[in-house]
This record gives sequence, C-alpha cells and structure tokens, in this order.
Amino acid sequence: MRESSYKIPDGKLVKVKLQVSVGQIENIKILGDFFLHPEEAIQNIEEALIGAPEDENIIETRISNTLAEMEASFIGATARDIAKTIMIAWEANDL
Amino acid sequence: MEEFRFIDLETHNAYQNMATDEAIMLAMKEGNASPTLRLYRWKPSAVSIGTFQGMLDEVDVEFCQSRGIDFIRRITGGGAVYHDYEGEVTYSIIIPKGHRLAPNDILDSYRLICGGIVEALGHLGIRGEFKPINDVDVGGKKISGNAMTRRHDCVLQHGTILLDLDVNLMFSILKVPQEKISDKMIADVRERVTSIRDVLKRDVQISELQKALIQGFSEALEIELAQGKLSSAEEKTARRLAEEKYSTSEWNFSR
Repeated sequence: MRESSYKIPDGKLVKVKLQVSVGQIENIKILGDFFLHPEEAIQNIEEALIGAPEDENIIETRISNTLAEMEASFIGATARDIAKTIMIAWEANDL
Repeated sequence: MEEFRFIDLETHNAYQNMATDEAIMLAMKEGNASPTLRLYRWKPSAVSIGTFQGMLDEVDVEFCQSRGIDFIRRITGGGAVYHDYEGEVTYSIIIPKGHRLAPNDILDSYRLICGGIVEALGHLGIRGEFKPINDVDVGGKKISGNAMTRRHDCVLQHGTILLDLDVNLMFSILKVPQEKISDKMIADVRERVTSIRDVLKRDVQISELQKALIQGFSEALEIELAQGKLSSAEEKTARRLAEEKYSTSEWNFSR
C-alpha cells in the first residue's frame, strides 16, 4: 500500500491509498475533507482508475470523464488535484 | 414570510442526530415534510467525520472509547468535527431542491445559509463573515464549519457553532501523531480556530447561543420559525437509520 496526503493550496486535504500491480492501479481509495456531489461518484471514480498507468494526464482524464458521466463535481478539489495526489502516492515507498 | 418547521434545541446521541437529518430528507422527498430547521446537541459528546474520510485515519478510536466519546461518519463531505456536549450547538436545515434558499451554485448556497450564522453572531455582538468554501470566521479564525449534501431531491446543510474550544482534547480525539503535538501546533490551532467564549471573554450559555441562532436564521433567511416536531413516520425512519446505518461499523468504518 502506498499513501499520500496533499493539502491543496487554499483548498482541502486529499489523501490517497494506492495498490499498484505490474505498473497499473490495482486498488485505490480517495479520502479527504473535500466535497463531491453526488457523493456516490467517489466509487465510480475509484473503479474507473483501476488499471490506469502511472501517467498523470491519463489519470486526470479518467477522473474528469467519470465526473462528466455522473454529472458530478468536486468542491474544494479538482480532478487535477486528485491526479496529483495519486502521483505522489505512486512515487512513495510501498508500505 | 415563508414558514419553516422548527425543531428547537434537542439533545440526542450521534446516531439519532445524523439519522434524524436523513429521515427528514426522506420524508421531504415523498412530499411529507416541509422545509425544516433543527438545533441540536450531542450526548454523549461525539466526533463526526466527513463522508470521504477514513475513520481510523482521522480519529483516535481507542481514546474516544476510553472517554465515552462516540464517533460517526456523516453523509456530508468536509472534515472531522468534535461535538462537545457543553461546547457547541449544531443546526441542520433541510429544504427541497429548487427552493429559493438552495441555489444551484454550491458556494452561493453555503453563503446564503451561513448568513444565518453570521446574523446570529451579530446578535451576540460578534462580527462574523462567511469564509468560502464552508466556514464562518471571526477575525480570520474559524468559529463555524458547515457541510452540505444534495440527495433525495433535497438539500441538507448542517454545521457547528463553537461555544468553547479545548484544543488539547481535540488533539487527543483527532489522530495527530503524538510526537507532532507541540506547543507550536497548539498555538497554530489557536491562530486558526476560535469560539464564542474566546471572543467575548465571558461564560456565554448555550441558551444565549440558541436564542441568537433562532433570531439569526429567521432574519437572514427571511423565514418564520413555527415550533414543530418530527412526524411519527420520520421518527420511525430515524430509529431505523440509527440502528441499521449510523451505529454500524459497516457505515462508520466504510472508509
């Protein structure tokens, strides 16, 4: 499990718990004190990220696409912030 | 003036409090509840976490258990809040989607409802201001945190207004690595968070805050508060949600 925390400047705190297998996301939890409407979209985002490679743009696009599909929106964070937090976790040591 | 059902200051445990907010939404969705404002306290004192937070990441569960402090996951996002029985009042407002107090823009929506808190603080002689996204500040320090969800064709906003603040207790409840708790950190929190008693330097009573909130919400939101209570159907739903959802480990430890 790799973990990261990212305090968005003037925003919320995002935490990521990540399991990686052969260069792809195997399991991910996105946590934090942000808002997301509707809240259920968090599961869709986490599922959409399974299989994603270590590429910030691809990850951000998968998040943005899921937001669009679900007509969901983050408050206090953006798809880019989440993608960035995931990349920080990816680069962290496996615990 | 538009009439709201007003459920005046009640005390419940954490499960019942969170279940009641959702039960009102479910009744409203079916057209069986009018716009509602509640004031409530938490007994036992409890810590609530945002719906996307990890319980074990945020809360020292063992410490809470040793002190008889409940812990619960909200249906709303946002951060962890300690609801001290003696030290804060919580409100909730539940309105149908499309209501004039529920604009589409989330920030506008927070600003509007937080106006009630700013007005209430004014009645206490405190100048507060809405601090986006979801806080009310006094002199640059947070005095009220708020959280909103939109579901069941309703908007629910609930929030806390701090009457008192025990920073040391807060650090024991929230998971901050012990080695990180320094005088500096405690000083930092005192720079960022305040309470009504801190600001006014006197022993303001719960009842005084209660009265200010009643005035503040009715004036800022231009609503008439009609004393009311839960319907028996809402009570039944609340009991069921408390038992089957909010008191369960599946819910509280789901993240």
